[in-house]
Amino acid sequence: MEKVRTPKNIFVQGPISPEKIAKSIANHSSNTVIGGHSIFLGQVRSDEKPEGKVIAIDYTAYEEMALEKAFEIREAIFAKYPLTCMHIYHSLGEVKVGELCLFVFTSSKHRKAAMQACDELVERIKEELPVWGKEILDTDNHVWKVNV
Amino acid sequence: MHNTIHIKAFGMVAERIGLAELVIDHSGNSSELLEVLLVKFPVLKSVKFSLAINKKLVSGNQEIPSGAEIALLPPFSGG
Repeated sequence: MEKVRTPKNIFVQGPISPEKIAKSIANHSSNTVIGGHSIFLGQVRSDEKPEGKVIAIDYTAYEEMALEKAFEIREAIFAKYPLTCMHIYHSLGEVKVGELCLFVFTSSKHRKAAMQACDELVERIKEELPVWGKEILDTDNHVWKVNV
Repeated sequence: MHNTIHIKAFGMVAERIGLAELVIDHSGNSSELLEVLLVKFPVLKSVKFSLAINKKLVSGNQEIPSGAEIALLPPFSGG
């Protein structure tokens, strides 16, 4: 029987810890049909803005809409690629430079599906999820992040 | 009889209008609502944003069902 998937919470308060990522990888060792994982990690960069240097990003989201949208994207990617599993985590609240704010993890029998699905997921997450980054500057100022 | 609609604002839009939530008289469709919002908050003329009705992005002009949840969404910048 096909597994019925329901919307999952993707949001994590604050930065995503490297331990969480290590644990997530370890959790897949029992699934021996997997032959390849692909992982994307988004890290907060200390951009130099005319108004100051970025020291952190404060993330907010329209959570209910973001979770609906993430579920829709998830289902579309599962339908398009032969994946074994897929995990998405995005930070909310403050994440300092050098810390992780996005963790996308796909697994499949063979590498290409995992790699292509991971890439497409990251692009769609950045473009379609109602999430906003407020870049906190070292000058007590802030600017709103713009995705390129 | 007039009913009302609930509006949520996010990111730069919330910052510029100084509100994260507001309640206004019901407008029939999204174009009318935009006109009302721009009169009420002229600062929105200089902010790029989209509308969502019941968590779906609006494209073109759409009817606003009664009891709808409206959201004002500046360009997304997650990740």
